[in-house]
Amino acid sequence: MNTTTTLAAGLPDAVHETQRAFRAVLDALARPGQIRSVGEPLPGVALGGAMARLLLTLCDEETPVWWQNDDPALQSWLRFHTSATLADSTARASFAVMTDIGHAPALEDFALGSAAAPEFSSTLLIELPALQGGPALEWRGPGIEVMQRVTLQGLPADFWTQWQANQASFPQGVDIIFTCAQHAIGLPRTTRVSRSEGV
Amino acid sequence: MTSNTSTPDFSARQAWLAVLARASLSELESKLELANPWLPALQRVRPAEVGMLMLRGRVGGTGNPFNLGEASVVRCAVRLGDGPLGVAYALGRDKRRAELAAVFDALLQDPEHHDDLQSKLIEPLASTQLQARDRLQREVATSKVEFFTLVRGDA
Repeated sequence: MNTTTTLAAGLPDAVHETQRAFRAVLDALARPGQIRSVGEPLPGVALGGAMARLLLTLCDEETPVWWQNDDPALQSWLRFHTSATLADSTARASFAVMTDIGHAPALEDFALGSAAAPEFSSTLLIELPALQGGPALEWRGPGIEVMQRVTLQGLPADFWTQWQANQASFPQGVDIIFTCAQHAIGLPRTTRVSRSEGV
Repeated sequence: MTSNTSTPDFSARQAWLAVLARASLSELESKLELANPWLPALQRVRPAEVGMLMLRGRVGGTGNPFNLGEASVVRCAVRLGDGPLGVAYALGRDKRRAELAAVFDALLQDPEHHDDLQSKLIEPLASTQLQARDRLQREVATSKVEFFTLVRGDA
């Protein structure tokens, strides 16, 4: 992947491309576990296509972004195009950009919202090495007719234990969008995850 | 890009940006041949876009700020090849005008083109703008009314 050395361009056709990305992420969260294509990578931006486009689509001056990886070039790129500020802690982040989930903070460290305003929770954007080919899991919940089999790769061993606690705290809790290159999978806080039987 | 505060210095850039922001489209178009050779490498980092800006005033010049109203603004950011980032903000909705101003800003930051553009573009524009401003001030000055207020007997 190329690195962001100079301030890279944003979306050439911002209105239509952000609409397309928004539709994709809306769909990904409405149908948890199904892979959606968000769009091609952006030249000069050291992020996957889905991650970069979602950041440009979702962030604005009211959404502090927390970066796991302190890359000033990426931070100033997002700041320039969306006016999104940097979140000084995970608990203040509207969005969190994580590229190394193995060394990420615990889910409960992020903003979980309050019972009165559960919408003020963090949305985590997590780049994974692959969205398929990992250990098989069964996802159930709203947006899934019976069961959705998902095989994400690269998640640490205790991640799903943390997710169980996050799911149990509904209506509070974080939502997650897993990305890999141009694809995304949504994991809203309503989704229950269990290990596949016989695996 | 090196850094935003590289030569030429910050206030000089502020000055030429102010001149470019006030320049009309026809003035900028007429100087376009100065920039022509570098235009093929034009990259639109932020394509020209129109937005609104809140204008604020102060009651009586020293009082509390208040929102006077909104103005349309067009802004643009470009880069020529690997050069510095050129930016432009201008009142109005003329995207071409902002784009040209951003191109000239990018070239003015390049030491190789700075002096040439400064003398052929910025200085003539600045003097035209100064003259126009002077003329307007003289016109307005003739209508000035001097108010003489006696000290009120409040005390």
